[in-house]
Amino acid sequence: MSGNGPRPNGGEILDPDASTIQRARALAQHNWSVILGAVIALLLFRWLMIDGLGMVADMVDVRIGGYEGLPSLILIYGIIVIGFNLLLGYVGLLSFGHAAFFGTAAYVAGIFSAEVSGSPLLMVVAGTVAAIVLAWPIGFLSIRRTGVYFAVLTLTFGQMLYFYALGPGAWLTNGDNGYSDIQTGDLLGSIRLDAPVPGLEFLLGHWQYVFVSIFMLLAIIVANRIVQSPYGLIFTALGENEHRVSFVGLNVFRYKLMAFIISAAFAGVGGSLFLIHESYIHPTTGLYWITSGDFVIMSVLGGTGSLVGPVFGALVFEYISNVISGVSLPVIGAIGSLWRLALGAAFVVIVWFLPQGIYGALKSLIGRVGRLIERQLNQTAGGDD
Amino acid sequence: MAIVDTIATIILNGLQQGAIFAMLGLGLTIILGTMKFLNLAHGALYLIGAYAGMIVIRETELTEGLLTDLGIQSIGLDYGFAAALILIPIIGFVVGVFMERFVAKPFYDRPETDQLLVTFGLALMVEEIAKGTIGGNTFQSTPAKRFFGFDVTGPIQLPVVGAFPQWRLYLILIALIVIGLTWLLIERTDFGLVVQAGTHDSEMVRLLGIKISRSYLLVFGLGAALAAFAGLIGASIQTISPQIGTERALVPAFLVIVVGGAGSVGGAIVGGMVLGVTIAAMTVIASQWAQIVLYAVAAIVLLTRPQGLFGSVEVEE
Repeated sequence: MSGNGPRPNGGEILDPDASTIQRARALAQHNWSVILGAVIALLLFRWLMIDGLGMVADMVDVRIGGYEGLPSLILIYGIIVIGFNLLLGYVGLLSFGHAAFFGTAAYVAGIFSAEVSGSPLLMVVAGTVAAIVLAWPIGFLSIRRTGVYFAVLTLTFGQMLYFYALGPGAWLTNGDNGYSDIQTGDLLGSIRLDAPVPGLEFLLGHWQYVFVSIFMLLAIIVANRIVQSPYGLIFTALGENEHRVSFVGLNVFRYKLMAFIISAAFAGVGGSLFLIHESYIHPTTGLYWITSGDFVIMSVLGGTGSLVGPVFGALVFEYISNVISGVSLPVIGAIGSLWRLALGAAFVVIVWFLPQGIYGALKSLIGRVGRLIERQLNQTAGGDD
Repeated sequence: MAIVDTIATIILNGLQQGAIFAMLGLGLTIILGTMKFLNLAHGALYLIGAYAGMIVIRETELTEGLLTDLGIQSIGLDYGFAAALILIPIIGFVVGVFMERFVAKPFYDRPETDQLLVTFGLALMVEEIAKGTIGGNTFQSTPAKRFFGFDVTGPIQLPVVGAFPQWRLYLILIALIVIGLTWLLIERTDFGLVVQAGTHDSEMVRLLGIKISRSYLLVFGLGAALAAFAGLIGASIQTISPQIGTERALVPAFLVIVVGGAGSVGGAIVGGMVLGVTIAAMTVIASQWAQIVLYAVAAIVLLTRPQGLFGSVEVEE
């Protein structure tokens, strides 16, 4: 994805007589704006998905509304692909083995809940730590190769874990029957995750959504902090030209390994949350390489060129797979399993024509409109003089 | 004698699986070596070969999918295996030629990641089309009963191994002949010479006045034909379902070229056989660990000899 890579703004300096729009743009890039925007989006997201779309569904008489649980699921995948994209979009490494971290975290969180403690927070911590511990050796070995060799190496490690969980590791994972002995307890000892949020149920639904949203917010803050920092700038530089980074005297290997571990940690958080959300994990949903492929699809669909782009990909992917797949249209009939075909087609079209993804395309459209307005404003201002 | 029997059986089973792996790896490696193009839709070509083979060879009852919705209860030409032997490589070649022109060509100059992504999307589409039209259920393989007028059912007595299904023995021989012919084509003909030269320096070949884009087309078609042929052989021994493209073809093909060395014809053949025998041996020793060991072998080779067992240079570092 060279040439279309993300371009972090390393602190733009505005001259005093910058136009209003330039000021607005600078404000939008500010850290606090990012956090505020994310909070507002998260507050409204569930309502929009379920009630907003539900109203549209009533109007057009096609069942396109979301259901309780879908917003959380989208956010969980959103967290994973934000991390995944730090690796793919910024450093330029395509991993086909992130299911390993996702699935391992899910299994560890599940086993942790049954054996040690059912505290949701501790489950997420346990799963994430497991993902990091696993990512260290896998990253240490895989980072030695680039391009397709890196992809194949991560794939082989992921598949080894998958077949282990399916066969020899069945004493731990319950093999092909899937692991369902999950004892998720109360949050902070008193809040049941499937209880409604008092007073705000119409907006936030159950506590689980709040729980997942907080992690999403943390993910955005952490990723944004990384991308805006000098450290993140090196990630971008690695994606653009690895050799030059090494010429500057930086330890390329160390930065790549760190990026790999960070992205695995995000996958770990997502995997643990996924387990809490689903209360069940199977090697095929957790560890199989198609799951890694789904992360790739989500990232590319949404757009690898920006931090939150992949979240849009997760939204589109999960919405199509969970809602549109159940829609029955007047002429075509039930969409059913055709959704994956449509998804594959959309994926090819996007790789071909919109390398920046859905979010990138939207952003450039908004940018174009913004420039148009700017020009108009300037012209009016010029006319007044 | 028991040990010797077991080893001989392992080798025969390994040859059978290894021949399929080798054909897949060969197809992928000549495309990768010549065009520097990474084809994640290689498994889809195997899938096409398997389904086309099933349709040509026999008549199959359908239970789900678009065709049953349209009232078609069964598909198949019932022409037998000999017809499939000729038709499937042709189908594979034609599909490959179309893929080269309409999918691969626009991506030759784009980054490696884009090539991976677009062919990955294509692979998804082919899998879903197969699932949507013919149905997602698993079809059994039916061994041929007669082949060019000969009865091929029942076991055959082999020295050392003992009884071995006659039909599978012929499949192994056919696959080995195809692999041998491919090797001759690449290593011993003028066409092969151009292809090999293109692997080293395609610009130089063009400067010599050779139209390399035509060679590209042929190589892609050849690679696709090999994958489809592997699908035909695979479908004659193993079950057929929409997932086999990625499960049994794409991932093993990549492991083969990783072990054998990208761009190396001999490497793909040896790599395929090594992995085939590994999986056959592990199936006997500890079947649960077979797949894990298969991946471990690939990972170890990749880490210790990135150029593969036979590759002299690493393609696309």
